[in-house]
Amino acid sequence: MKLTRSWLENYIDIPFSTDELCHHLTMAGLEVDEVLPISKDYIIDIDLTPNRSDCLSVKGIARELSCINKQYKYKLDKKSKGINPTCEQIDFKFNIVEKNICPSYGFMYLKNLKPSCVTPKYIVKRLNDIGINLVHPLVDILNYIMIDIGQPMHAYDADKVKGEITVRFAKKNESFEALDGNKYKLSEDNIVVADSSGIISLAGIIGSNNCSVSEATKNIIIESAFFEPNAIANKARKLKLQTESSQRFERGVDYNLPKKALIELQCIILENKICDFSNFHFLDYKNLLPKQKEVKIEFDKIRKVIGIDLKDENIEKLLLSLGCDYNKKTHTVINPSYRFDLSIHADYIEEIARIYGYDNIPLVSESINIEPNKPYQPFHIINTVKKYLYDNGYSECINYSFVNSDFLENFDWKNEEFNEHHKITNYMSVEQNKLRSNLASSLIKNIEFNNNMNSENSYRFYEISNVFGEKVEQILTCVVSGDKEDENWASKKQKFDKYDMTTIVEDLSKSFGVNKNKLNYVIKDIFYNKKSYIVLTLSISELIKEKQGIQEEKFTNYSKLPYIRRDLSFLIDVTVRYESILKLIEETNVHSLKKILLFDLYVGKNIPIDLKSLGMGFIFQDEIKTLTHEEADKHIEKILRALNDKFKIELRK
Amino acid sequence: MSGDNLKKDLKKILEEASKSIKDINSISDLEKSRIQFLGKKSLLISLMKSLSDLTKEEKSIAGKDLNNAKTEINNLLADKKISLSKVDNVKKDDFDLSMPGKASSVGSVHPISKTMDCAIQIFESLKFECVEGPEIEDEFHNFTALNIPDSHPARAMHDTFYLENNLLLRTHTSSVQVRTMSENTTPIRIIAPGKVYRKDSDITHTPMFHQIEGLYVDKDVSFSNLKSIINIFLKSFFEQDDLKIRFRPSYFPFTEPSAEVDIEYIDSKGNKSWLEILGCGMVHPNVLDMANIDSSIYSGYAFGLGVERLAMLKLGITDLRLFYENDLRFLKQFQRI
Repeated sequence: MKLTRSWLENYIDIPFSTDELCHHLTMAGLEVDEVLPISKDYIIDIDLTPNRSDCLSVKGIARELSCINKQYKYKLDKKSKGINPTCEQIDFKFNIVEKNICPSYGFMYLKNLKPSCVTPKYIVKRLNDIGINLVHPLVDILNYIMIDIGQPMHAYDADKVKGEITVRFAKKNESFEALDGNKYKLSEDNIVVADSSGIISLAGIIGSNNCSVSEATKNIIIESAFFEPNAIANKARKLKLQTESSQRFERGVDYNLPKKALIELQCIILENKICDFSNFHFLDYKNLLPKQKEVKIEFDKIRKVIGIDLKDENIEKLLLSLGCDYNKKTHTVINPSYRFDLSIHADYIEEIARIYGYDNIPLVSESINIEPNKPYQPFHIINTVKKYLYDNGYSECINYSFVNSDFLENFDWKNEEFNEHHKITNYMSVEQNKLRSNLASSLIKNIEFNNNMNSENSYRFYEISNVFGEKVEQILTCVVSGDKEDENWASKKQKFDKYDMTTIVEDLSKSFGVNKNKLNYVIKDIFYNKKSYIVLTLSISELIKEKQGIQEEKFTNYSKLPYIRRDLSFLIDVTVRYESILKLIEETNVHSLKKILLFDLYVGKNIPIDLKSLGMGFIFQDEIKTLTHEEADKHIEKILRALNDKFKIELRK
Repeated sequence: MSGDNLKKDLKKILEEASKSIKDINSISDLEKSRIQFLGKKSLLISLMKSLSDLTKEEKSIAGKDLNNAKTEINNLLADKKISLSKVDNVKKDDFDLSMPGKASSVGSVHPISKTMDCAIQIFESLKFECVEGPEIEDEFHNFTALNIPDSHPARAMHDTFYLENNLLLRTHTSSVQVRTMSENTTPIRIIAPGKVYRKDSDITHTPMFHQIEGLYVDKDVSFSNLKSIINIFLKSFFEQDDLKIRFRPSYFPFTEPSAEVDIEYIDSKGNKSWLEILGCGMVHPNVLDMANIDSSIYSGYAFGLGVERLAMLKLGITDLRLFYENDLRFLKQFQRI
């Protein structure tokens, strides 16, 4: 809502600088967005909250100022009665079908609009100042009155209106062409004003093109009505057709205003000799007008909720200053007709706090039981993961949850094909039309982006986020590419391989005391745009679940007797999985075998293509006596025999 | 060879060695000198070899002398080595303290994570318990239960992303309030951090951002409690005891009274201005009632922090969009933990 200081001074004295004025407005909840000095004046732009429809006018803001600070003295209203008409009424019939929605419909006729008439100068200046375009002298005057006192009115070209004027709901599939030149398809909950040939306006929102006022217009019907806020709310937004008028009606316009607005209009027309005007007439259904609500004031509750010590009579004073009717005997209060937002007790608590001044409310700490913090376990776990990754050179990324239909998106995090994405029905761009089911695609694109911008040779990115696959799951994805290390003088220029990702899983399993096999993870190569990436994805949701069952770590005793190590290097079928080798060794039941080390893995030159070479170290140690070399030899023999029997290994010299 | 001659020779060797070692000033020369006086081809060793010509008695005396001489030379060499290494330790060792180390393995933590963590820690220390809620929500939890009916003009403030089957992406973490209140008994004292979504994208808006919701419901919770907790949090977060904070009336459908909180910001030129930092208020009685909490007995406060905003102010980031580009030049600026 834009207005000027001088316009405001029409209604109140302002014994303050503009800075102070703006501070008062802001601290009353009418946040000043911008102040622009112009010659001898200031344009003030106020960001109004949707509950304060009463402040969508210069007069309303003046009224608010006079109520929060008595030094803003309100100047008395000059005009209150209608003035003598200068012409007769035109014979039109009105039929308010939806009386619930339009319980008060006022109209007036304007005749003999002079082609030479112009918008009054002061109105031109004020509308210009606040950035409202001039359209037509009469429309400009209506706009001016709307900004001035808050009542939107509408002007129809009387010579274009045919037959009876009705206020009704739109019919199924009814459409109309608005003043803005666009055609709108209406739904049956749109309230419209129509004549015998069709819709002449979308009630309270915008007029139609066919009955609009133009330069050629001679006679006019003015509509000044009250529309029920809930009937207008949402409608303009759904049609993407928000207007100054709809903004006011959907938030609530004082039902006493339509009449005042018509009187104001008569005065301006008379003063500026715009045209002839008739008496105004109202179709009123008083029992359907919004009911002002009676609320019983609970003084203790007000003091308790705000946390201030304010006497009953001071609370009463504040209520009266708001323009409420207050009954001292019953302690009940009735809201003014322009305050749609005051209907329950909490509304009054807010008003008392606001006028008392938020700044004046003391700070009081609540008393809390002294107990140790209980950090939230899932975050604690995630932070441990993040710290580990940080220590290992990984950079955390955060990407949007939405993606497009790139082929990388057609997988879930387990790298299985997935096409059942949650689709965003009202997406902003096709690039962001569904929720992602994996994080790898975002991270790969992050690396591509960086590769174009930066000169890095090693990328280690990760993200922890929810993904939206068959179920919503929180996962960690690490994507690496290029060299294992940032370029440095001691680097051996090693490339990443998938076993680097295995290390991460193993380290994490150790940090959480969770068996690696209990973790839900996938390690994959992904080729994309001719580049290769290594991707680890691990379910954080599963990790959190697993971690819950894990007991505190406990000490176990260990043998202090000497150990003996025996190494085996052998060739084995390349398809034999390491875990089956371990399982077999375990089955040999050699109790003094304390540890197995895999110190070498080789495939390639000098070895048949279907074999791999493994180097394994075995550490033997007894718990009660010193192990002899003969015993160690026996153990290693046993292991060797088992390996031979099952896998036909070939020992290497 | 006679014993006398040997003594003379040894004396000569010792004099020569002592003089020569004294003048040495490098470790390599010291080694050369060791070879010269004690090496296989040295005079001393050849003298030792010639002992076989002597009688048993002579042998024992001469052997003792020879060994003494050898020990003496060794001592001279050792002393010189110590003094040499004391003089120019660095010169002799090519370790360069100013050299960069080998591969660095320090990563980075996203500034949003960092900010979120910092805020969570403060609130946990103020006895708020962390909870999470779903990002995919329904109309009831995101709007209706928060006193935002379909016709409410406030729905225009939330440009919502809708999914199929009447689902939506939550527009605020306030939806977690509803879930927590209906699933727990009072008192409730929680924070709910997480991602939220709004259909908005420009210099000051991204379609996804992060919020932390706070909620405290108990008997006798007051607006002055709310003011106090926000003050404590902001001063602690910005590590500034004299931080200027103001509460300004505002409007949210789910709180009443509602407030927006500004902090005083002083730019590099010393200009002061107020910056909006969060929204808060007393939980609206309709919201309590809808969660089956008797609003005539209980009251509560709630607040919602924008994590990006906090991060920008604390870290001096001026462009919101940088958060989601994941440019290493941005990410690597946040290496501290």
